[in-house]
Amino acid sequence: MDSALHEVWQAASGRPFVPTIGKDSHFLIGFSLLILGIGLSGAFVINRSLVNVPVLGLPASLALAFGVVYMFCAVGVYV
Amino acid sequence: MKTSAVFSAALSLLSLVSPSSAKSTTTAASPSKPPQVWKNANLVHIISVEKNYVKENINVLVENISKQPQDEYFLLLTADEASRLGGVEVKDRKNAKAGPFGVEVVELDPKSNDQYIRIKLPAALNAGAQQTLGISYYLLKAYKPLPATIKQEDQQFLAHSFSALCPSAYVTSKQKTEVKLPSANVPDYTKLPGSGDVKEFPVKSGAKLTYGPFDEKPAGAVEPAQVRFEFNKPVSHVTELERDIEVSHWGGNVAFEERYTLIHRGANLSDQFNRVKWAQAAYYQPNTHALKEMKFPLRVGSADPYYTDVIGNVSTSRFRSNKREALLEIKPRYPLFGGWKYPFTIGWNSDAKNFLRQTVNGGYILNVPFLEGPKQPEGIEYEQVQVRVILPEGAENVKYSTTVPQSSITSDDVEIQKTFLDTIGRTVLVIKARNLVDDLRERELVVSYDYPLSASLRKPLIVFGSVMALFVGTWVLGNLDLKFTSK
Repeated sequence: MDSALHEVWQAASGRPFVPTIGKDSHFLIGFSLLILGIGLSGAFVINRSLVNVPVLGLPASLALAFGVVYMFCAVGVYV
Repeated sequence: MKTSAVFSAALSLLSLVSPSSAKSTTTAASPSKPPQVWKNANLVHIISVEKNYVKENINVLVENISKQPQDEYFLLLTADEASRLGGVEVKDRKNAKAGPFGVEVVELDPKSNDQYIRIKLPAALNAGAQQTLGISYYLLKAYKPLPATIKQEDQQFLAHSFSALCPSAYVTSKQKTEVKLPSANVPDYTKLPGSGDVKEFPVKSGAKLTYGPFDEKPAGAVEPAQVRFEFNKPVSHVTELERDIEVSHWGGNVAFEERYTLIHRGANLSDQFNRVKWAQAAYYQPNTHALKEMKFPLRVGSADPYYTDVIGNVSTSRFRSNKREALLEIKPRYPLFGGWKYPFTIGWNSDAKNFLRQTVNGGYILNVPFLEGPKQPEGIEYEQVQVRVILPEGAENVKYSTTVPQSSITSDDVEIQKTFLDTIGRTVLVIKARNLVDDLRERELVVSYDYPLSASLRKPLIVFGSVMALFVGTWVLGNLDLKFTSK
């Protein structure tokens, strides 16, 4: 065996990979972001003006983007 | 002599370049037999048939009888053995730090049935010098049930054929062969005329047969022998194991899934399976040659196990998980008798922190067991193993190393697989191995890779872009004036 990689593994012993959002919070974060995203989208649908594309569309897209990723993880499809 | 040395050096270089060439064929330029430069001063061959695969240990004191230093030792095999051979490891019995020994299965003469394990010594041995080699390997599909069909409640007996003289490419001055058996119930074994004080070989003591010591034998000498022993345990054989290890950075998870194609290679049933007898036997004769349970000791921290087969979820399983153990016990949907197959799937999750670390220079390193199959007292053997390490989308610069014997690895590739929320597809490291056994289940697989921030943000950015395009599109469409104007 090429022991170099094993040494890298040993050297990294103090740095286990911990994700930004833990498994327990996936559902809460994902669900809240999705609700927020859908709510903002609804607000945009009611008043479709050019100003509202960045004002409502941008935060709605961001919330939906991260909400979708965390919701996938929350239901057990670890993407 | 010189040409052969040059050629073999070139060949070993080739084998370094491509690990997929587990077996190589030499061309007409090389000799069809290894040069007679060694002598086996003393050889002890231990054939262990205690489990449902054969483990062989050859401890040999080799002596360089040529005039030049030598660094290649050949071990003789038949073509049939070579196809069932796995997990070859060589050690220096006197000096554990000597190494590493290069191991490769080679065919010197394509027309001959003889194949060889070529052992490259870490340092050339001078003329007249000696070294003690400890060579160990496994042979799969080693036994034949005898009788081939038995009743459900009968005892199972297996027969194993071997050579009482260790097949060697060199002259052997002194040798003996020990056969270690699972029990003392050995109804038949080949008897040979003894030598010296012993009138007849083998000498039987408990569950051990000893053939020898024999005096000097020429190179290639064999003495066919057979032993038939009680083995009232399942002869479990996995024809194919597909093991997927999926790493998720977003979820902080490592998901495992193993798909087994399991077959019992023991004696077939002579009559129809009788459910009533089977239920009765559970009380008065719990020892059976049928496979009825498997135990998977998983790593502590494993969670969410599942166990399915072609029909769907199999409910006869139990998962004990606490701070000290994570034991998955499964019962097949039906007891497995000789000749019966059972394909099934198991899977589980674990937190990424148990297997994944960040390296000092920003990369990631994953350390997982290469095999995590069942731990059975009778053992289990794997003919084909495919381990797929599914890394996150955009992972690059993938390197791996494993403590599984290099001679068992047949190929390694980096592929792409597309699944949920993927655009360019995930990087998949596919390692194929053959002829592994459960003795190797604690061996490590270390994979290092780089995963830049831009790659990790790809998934939310794709969703963000799509939704944003939807908003802009809605606004544009909403502003189109489709009314009829009355001018």
